[in-house]
Amino acid sequence: MKVHVDPERCQGHTLCAMIAPKMFELDDIDGHSSPVDENVPADQEARVRQAVRSCPEQAISVSGDPA
Amino acid sequence: MSAEEADRKKNRYHFDRHTPDYRHQFEAITAEMHARCPIAWSDTYGGHWVAAGAREVFELARSAEYLSNDHDVNNERRGYKGITIPTPESMIRGGFLEMDPPEQRHYRQAVNPYLSPAAVAGWIPVTAELVRACLDEKIETGRIDFVDDLANVVPAVLTLAMMGIPMKHWTIYCEPVHAAVYTPPDSPGMDRVRDRQIEMYKDMFGQLMAIKENPRPGLIDALARALINGRTPPDLELLGVMTLIIAGGFDTTTALTAHALEWLGEHPDQRKRLSRERETLLDPATEEFLRFYTPAPGDGRTIAADCEIAGQQFKEGERLWLSWAMANRDPEVFPDPNQVDLARTGNRHHSFGLGIHRCIGSNVARMVFKQMVAAVLDRMPDYRCDPASAVHYETIGVIQGMQHLPAAFTPGARLGAGLDETIEAMQRICDDQRLAEPVTARKARADIAR
Repeated sequence: MKVHVDPERCQGHTLCAMIAPKMFELDDIDGHSSPVDENVPADQEARVRQAVRSCPEQAISVSGDPA
Repeated sequence: MSAEEADRKKNRYHFDRHTPDYRHQFEAITAEMHARCPIAWSDTYGGHWVAAGAREVFELARSAEYLSNDHDVNNERRGYKGITIPTPESMIRGGFLEMDPPEQRHYRQAVNPYLSPAAVAGWIPVTAELVRACLDEKIETGRIDFVDDLANVVPAVLTLAMMGIPMKHWTIYCEPVHAAVYTPPDSPGMDRVRDRQIEMYKDMFGQLMAIKENPRPGLIDALARALINGRTPPDLELLGVMTLIIAGGFDTTTALTAHALEWLGEHPDQRKRLSRERETLLDPATEEFLRFYTPAPGDGRTIAADCEIAGQQFKEGERLWLSWAMANRDPEVFPDPNQVDLARTGNRHHSFGLGIHRCIGSNVARMVFKQMVAAVLDRMPDYRCDPASAVHYETIGVIQGMQHLPAAFTPGARLGAGLDETIEAMQRICDDQRLAEPVTARKARADIAR
């Protein structure tokens, strides 16, 4: 599974980093999010899916996931 | 009205969020609007649209190209009326929340480095000390008013510290900021509020002038140095921005904290659970209280060009109310929307707004709220609120807030100095360690070891 954060949509709500702190890092200056690594380890998939569902701007997407 | 006009406005709802009835009937009104008219035309306040559905609010709030926040107080552009419905008497623009890009973006770029998660983390030790001192003032007596003695104090003191205003001045700012929201405009109490507001604006203006003359770190310094569209903004515009930061930083966090403590007092089992599982539960519980109580219940906009959004046609110049509070109860997005579920997942609530105007103080609000709630859970774990003495704001058109929340608890021992002494100590630390510098200049957390 790969994860993507659309920088045009992200407004720095920070929920993704709250839910999956190992997968998302927040910019020091404006708090906008980006994936630490676009490849999601199996043990982080559930958290990343929850981050997708929790993003107020719907800025996070996942791909390459047969499930 | 033409047939076309009547058709465009066929979904109608008499919407008046400034009446006590709206507060008392909030869940019923919200459910009715979701079912019948998630976007409705209301004839109230000169006529305006109301968006209540989550999908509709989402699509509208993110359509920055068709929506304007501009408050054109001097009628120099298109005469738009900003984010408040009805338009207030004040002729001061409400900071960058009443601006459009690029000015809005320039202001946010100037203040973001003071309010980002990394910047806010530096203030945690100071906040914890302020909370400790507030609780110490009351811990031996077994009685506290969670609004007057805690939730009014900490957000105010911290906001001033971040701005670069002496923290002990919080007493000048605290009362007028809250009272201006909960005092009805035509009541006798408003005269006192206006007097206190004048005192506050005098202090604000003095701080701005002093910092322009002799820079000291903080948000005001950032504003004084900011180039907005290549120009230094006039002082009146900067006062509007300072007012936005103060109004945004005080009453909202107070409202959230008071409501959460009230709910936890009414649900002692959930309170125990939150205290026990706070490492995993405090984050989602905070988002759930934000969703459920939505301290800032909505924002006004002006339609900037004819458009169709979420299936509704809008005309340039029409006013629109985006209801974050009602969108937060939409069952399409939030199952059992009228239940508080501390562990709720997928909680993409609208309480900090959406799109380019996302509440810039959201990171501060969360941090201060969590510090206050966790400390109360630790030190007053058996508190009981007195429902007969709790005072909610009579209307929730501007802020869904509380004026008083008295509680009783088993007395405990003080841990340190009282509030005034603690504020003095924190001010020294703030000055010596230049805590109010932006994250670009300073990253370490405050060191408050004594």
